Amino acid sequence: MGKAKTDKADGRVALPADCRIADLAAVKAALEAALSAPAAELDGAAVERVDTAALQLLAVFRREAAARGMAVRWAGASDVLRDGAARLGLAQTLELPAAMPA
Amino acid sequence: MSTVSLAQFHQTFFDESHEGLDAMETALLALDGGGDKELVHGIFRAAHSIKGGAATFGFPDMAAFTHEAESLLDELRDGRRAVDAGIVEVLLRSVDCLRGMFARAQSGQPLADADSEALRHELAAMVGRTLAPAAAPARRSDDAATGWSIAFRPHRGMLAGGNDALRLLRELGELGELKAEAELDRLPGLAALDPSECHLGWRLELRGDVTRAAVQSVFDWVEDECDLTIEALPGAQVHHAPVVAEAAAAVPAPAAAAPKAAVREAAATESSVRVGIDKIDSLINLVGELVITQSMLDTFREDFDASRLEMLQQGLAQLARHTRTLQESVMGIRMLPIGSVFNRFPRMVRDLSQKLGKQVKLDLVGEQTELDKTVLEKIGDPLVHLVRNAIDHGLETPDRRRAAGKGDTGTLRLEASHRNGSIVVEISDDGAGLNREAIIAKALQRGLIASAEGLTDEAVADLIFQPGFSTAAVTTDLSGRGVGMDVVRRNVVDLGGSIQIRSVAGKGSVFTITLPLTLAIIDGLTALVGGEHYIVPLASIIETVQLRSEHLRTVTGGGELFHFRDGWLPVLRLQDAFACHGTRRPIEQGLVVVVEGDGSRLGLFVDELIGQQQAVVKSLEANYRRVSGISGATILADGSVALIVDVAGLSRQLSRRRAA
Amino acid sequence: MAKILAVDDSASMRGMVAFTLRGAGHDVSEAENGQLAVDAAKGARFDLVLADVNMPVMDGISMVRELRTMPEYKGVPILMLTTESHTDKKMEGKAAGATGWLVKPFDPEQLLATVKRVLG
Repeated sequence: MGKAKTDKADGRVALPADCRIADLAAVKAALEAALSAPAAELDGAAVERVDTAALQLLAVFRREAAARGMAVRWAGASDVLRDGAARLGLAQTLELPAAMPA
Repeated sequence: MSTVSLAQFHQTFFDESHEGLDAMETALLALDGGGDKELVHGIFRAAHSIKGGAATFGFPDMAAFTHEAESLLDELRDGRRAVDAGIVEVLLRSVDCLRGMFARAQSGQPLADADSEALRHELAAMVGRTLAPAAAPARRSDDAATGWSIAFRPHRGMLAGGNDALRLLRELGELGELKAEAELDRLPGLAALDPSECHLGWRLELRGDVTRAAVQSVFDWVEDECDLTIEALPGAQVHHAPVVAEAAAAVPAPAAAAPKAAVREAAATESSVRVGIDKIDSLINLVGELVITQSMLDTFREDFDASRLEMLQQGLAQLARHTRTLQESVMGIRMLPIGSVFNRFPRMVRDLSQKLGKQVKLDLVGEQTELDKTVLEKIGDPLVHLVRNAIDHGLETPDRRRAAGKGDTGTLRLEASHRNGSIVVEISDDGAGLNREAIIAKALQRGLIASAEGLTDEAVADLIFQPGFSTAAVTTDLSGRGVGMDVVRRNVVDLGGSIQIRSVAGKGSVFTITLPLTLAIIDGLTALVGGEHYIVPLASIIETVQLRSEHLRTVTGGGELFHFRDGWLPVLRLQDAFACHGTRRPIEQGLVVVVEGDGSRLGLFVDELIGQQQAVVKSLEANYRRVSGISGATILADGSVALIVDVAGLSRQLSRRRAA
Repeated sequence: MAKILAVDDSASMRGMVAFTLRGAGHDVSEAENGQLAVDAAKGARFDLVLADVNMPVMDGISMVRELRTMPEYKGVPILMLTTESHTDKKMEGKAAGATGWLVKPFDPEQLLATVKRVLG
């Protein structure tokens, strides 16, 4: 399972396969770093496990980015990620793509 | 349907519960002398485990009983009630009662009986409860509706405690069609967010024919970790219905119908022995060594000449050494510490001494000494008898002790140790010792001896092992149970052991029981009788003599006696005893092996002695049938079978024949 | 398949839990008390911990408290195996950080159903 990665220049954040409460410190740090970029790109294609805490963290990031008028796009989102977001009523907030891009 | 049969865990449950009960008893006895909090905790834990196991493995009566004992212990544990002698007493009785229940469980009988029920009510009364006969499960009315509106606001710590809201909503989604709307208004900014804390809330709509209880049960672990309201959806149909479900399983039913089949299965379980992992590991290592030696020896098969003879000899020596160590280790598996037998004595000594108005201090030494499991199982009764005797007859009341210039409290000591390849168990007391005059008077009265003239102290002491002997002037309710010292000796001898007594009037007595390390292997002398091999156990042999006909006396009835040391011993010709073929040799052409069995000596006449060897004992009873005068069989190096002579049995046969 | 730690001082209970869960394909480790469980948890990351409450050396409640101080055990389900009569213990366990409980006596099916529930 990979750690969350960010590239300061383009604000890209890749979410780890196990994206759950015990491993969110790194994800949070990556997201905070991404906030200083002009635009952010989230990659959730590798996410195999997700929980409320992770989805809440993403929701907080989206709201904060929106408040700063910063563009956020998804490079990918796994079924697990989209299913979790839908069940928690966060699909709209997270603006997840309807289907996984190829 | 589960494929897991609970019966397979019964034996483990029984074993650990017996240990638990022993530990409870030991702790209760320690508590009796003013113990500490940790003892109470230990007792509580043991009871609690038994209760949990009993309920899980299908013994509801035992669970119900233990529940009451546990309630009382709970009060002791949190200080609501102080420990006193009465409580210790009732808890000790509870331990006994549970032991009875376990015995019945193992033999597939109903667990509860009148006594256990009476004690259960007594325990309940102590904690101020009256037991109603099988209370009906509480019914609570429940609503069912075609839809629910749920407001769910977790407290911050809920997620970190392992309750993922996503999981809870997924469970709700299994009940019906769920629509979730997240409340985002309490979300902090990213920098301020502790990702493990929950700041989300949800307004949920659940559509489907679902009861309120079903909705509630999804949240049962998080009741205190969230704000939750559950309301029927406006416009949904609501019907009120009593609910019986849910509750039924929680209350253990008092009837014993259910676990019967399971209990039978357990009763049929073979007896087992628990082996420490270190013993298994050492076995595995030894087998490894054996395999290496074997493959080393294997090389000689293809490539051998005289130059490698020394290596071959070394290899064989190594093989012999490993085989012997392996044998010892395998025997070790059957070895258990004698502590499990000693454990019952603190309780027994306490009860007996109280009953008899005596003060007794019990010393247990060498509890870790290991004994063969079979020996261990059979040595309990003789030891109980000796301990009971020591308290009943040996140790005096405080008055008498003071009059004799001793302290009020007598000492009873049980000590187990290894000595010369045997196990020695000594039961000693500092009581009155054997009363020579009383024993002689009794023996005369019983016709056991004709006169006391010339009897050594040793011989007098030995009289108490004669059948039907009892020295108690007054028959207490402890003696006179139909078991005498003769039976104690018989039991010890049957185990291949012996028992001796040393006693000093006014100072006390010491009973010494010597037991073989194992019953599975004996050291024996191989003898030839009528062309067949017999093995005489080395432990019973005193010496071997060659006789001349003038040493023999023939007595009326055809018996032969020979002069040995300062007395006359009977000669038993094994050829006659076992109806062997071959010609009957004159006494000069054979040897007489002087043996001691069942407390008396005799000479076994054999044709020849071949040598000493270790014999692995095979049961004749299990493989053929019981044969009198033979205790078992063994297989010799050439593959033929040799019978092992039962010296005690032959000695009994002979004395019966002489008495007739 | 999940990595599960079964903690109970009773060999029969622990055996039943481990046997049942292994039968369902899980990777089960066993510990005899809370202290051994904490030691085991330091070396491996379990997806679920099932623990008895009353144990010698370290009881189940202290074990939960101890595990919850470890960052990698944040949010990991820890279930207490408890008896109906000790409602206060359930609450004490919850307060220490337990996820939930399984009420003794339970049978293998109830155990599997509960484990399935927490593992999702």
